[in-house]
Amino acid sequence: MKLGILPKLFKNLFSKPMTVRFPHESIPIPEGYRGEHAYDMEKCISCGLCAKICPNRAIEMIEAPEDIKDRYPKTYPKIDLGKCCFCGLCKDICPKDSIELTKKFFLSTFDHNNVIKYPTPKVEEPING
Amino acid sequence: MINEMEPAPKGTDYDLYFGPAHPGSGNFGVKLKIDGEIVVSARADPGYLHRGFEKLMEYRTPIQNAVLSDRLCVLEPLNWNLVHAEAVDELMDIDVPERAKYIRVIMAELSRIQSHIIWYGVFSMGTGFDTGFKMAFGFRDYILDLFELITGGRVYPAGYICPGGVRRDFPNGARDKILKVLDKMNEMIILEELENPTLDARAKGVGVLKVKDAIRLGATGPVLRGSGMKTDVRKDEPYEIYDKLDFEVPVRKDGDAYARYWIGIEEMKQSIKIVKQALKELPKGEVIDSAWKKPKLTVKMPEDEVYVRNEVARGEAAVYMVSAGGSEPYRCKIRGPDFLHMIPVLEYLLKGVQIADVPAIYWSLNICPADMDR
Amino acid sequence: MDTKETEILGEIKSKFKVDGRIRRKQRMWISTDKNKLMEVCNWLKDRGFIHLSAISVTDWLDEGMYELTYHLWSYDDNILVTVKTKIDRDNPAINSVEPIWAENAQIHERELHELFGVKFKDNSDLSPLFLEDQEDMHPFRKDFDWREHVREKYYNKENERETVYYD
Repeated sequence: MKLGILPKLFKNLFSKPMTVRFPHESIPIPEGYRGEHAYDMEKCISCGLCAKICPNRAIEMIEAPEDIKDRYPKTYPKIDLGKCCFCGLCKDICPKDSIELTKKFFLSTFDHNNVIKYPTPKVEEPING
Repeated sequence: MINEMEPAPKGTDYDLYFGPAHPGSGNFGVKLKIDGEIVVSARADPGYLHRGFEKLMEYRTPIQNAVLSDRLCVLEPLNWNLVHAEAVDELMDIDVPERAKYIRVIMAELSRIQSHIIWYGVFSMGTGFDTGFKMAFGFRDYILDLFELITGGRVYPAGYICPGGVRRDFPNGARDKILKVLDKMNEMIILEELENPTLDARAKGVGVLKVKDAIRLGATGPVLRGSGMKTDVRKDEPYEIYDKLDFEVPVRKDGDAYARYWIGIEEMKQSIKIVKQALKELPKGEVIDSAWKKPKLTVKMPEDEVYVRNEVARGEAAVYMVSAGGSEPYRCKIRGPDFLHMIPVLEYLLKGVQIADVPAIYWSLNICPADMDR
Repeated sequence: MDTKETEILGEIKSKFKVDGRIRRKQRMWISTDKNKLMEVCNWLKDRGFIHLSAISVTDWLDEGMYELTYHLWSYDDNILVTVKTKIDRDNPAINSVEPIWAENAQIHERELHELFGVKFKDNSDLSPLFLEDQEDMHPFRKDFDWREHVREKYYNKENERETVYYD
């Protein structure tokens, strides 16, 4: 009598399944993952290289909004996440390292206003008065 | 191109669309003319995934083209990255460092193992063995975790193999993880080799392709090796470091769907052997040519033309690049193996078979609609 | 020394009047006239070059010519030979090589007819392959402005994400 698949069948009865119950438990994400962009307005010098190297024209240089225009007089990148392919060329070419790619990947949305990322400065600490 | 279906039948002739909205056929459709149970003729219907790559590449510089080249075929992106990078390297006479060549070969062979696992999975699904499909995609995840650690993305590596070398070096601990993953791949091969009477009955003697017909119709890769011809681009004109490695080329003489399926399993064993040898001999040093470390906006390409051939998981792939002195290529023609497998070979093999044999023949050719349409 | 490549090049040059050069080992490039193309291809197929790898068209807009290239591979000698010819751009027509390499050549020529507009005589089936309902348009020519074509047919002014292309 040929055994065939029977030994493997018995071994499978007593071992753990291969799957991981996401999102209650998850595998840790390694360093160097290419997720959403994090942008620092203080370091930017408005050279425009990130807009020129992007293969899909997802970055456009625009001016800062009215209320903070006196502190930030030059043009800054506006990123369209729907066109971006998350390749990381903008991070490699920036001379001052002001664009970085984080580990966030929950980016899908029903509202098409959330797709475009405008440049905003970092929120300052509130002063206790 | 197909315009309309025939009017209502009288008798036993009718048309059947094995088409793009079918859960088991991918982005590609075949129109079959049937008489009772026998297929009289077949006509392929390509074009659902045509994106115009050859024209898109004429407006971008080589580093931007490297990011674009991994979407040529979604099931094996690192192999297509390698073809494009080799074409630019030869056109501009770039010296690639030794460590970069070894890393390129390791990543390309891991991508070939992952592609053959998908082939096993969808072939089992097409012939009714659903457990094989789930098993295959479970084991494929180990390799995708490895890609995420090294390149930053699970499926698309975003131009990891670029002209001049590779974009990043291996992180610490990558070497031990690769060896652990290869042990799991050996477990998967033992499971694949178990006997399965259903698969034997459905795939033996079905879809026979003889050697003379295969060469006339333009087949390459595992389809040609399943018919009896011993040829492989890695042995005929070695590129990168394949002339220093020791591996074999599996060949079978029957030419039916079962022979092609077994060649996929044998090739996985040879790829595991190649990765172990390359890891043992990996030298130290730089991973990219110093002029290509930071991306540049304009490069100067000399006026020349070049034709580079490679062996991807599905057959022979080639890139013909012409440059007229600017920073973008003037013409970039891409030859994919599936353009020949899906239109002439499929129409020839589907003549005169029964309807129940159509999925077994269709999936044994290892098709990918993305590099047929480009 | 490259014995096999120089031997084949010598034989071709003595039989037909063609230009040829050897670029590196296993690569040979030959240019010929369009009237002699069929004889050269027949001779090469009998010599052992049974595998047609690709056929391609390059559009030289300044000269007003199309350049056709045929890439052939031999399994016995492991050499790749490329045959190049030039034809006129405004009325492109040439004999088909389907009698020599059968279905392999037929499908390559069908794609080139649709994308560039080259007419191949004696080809058994030149119906469109990828594009549907778009006759009289050959998209891969260098004078086809695809930006204007998209703007006329598909542009939507109210969508903020599309205006970035036409500023």
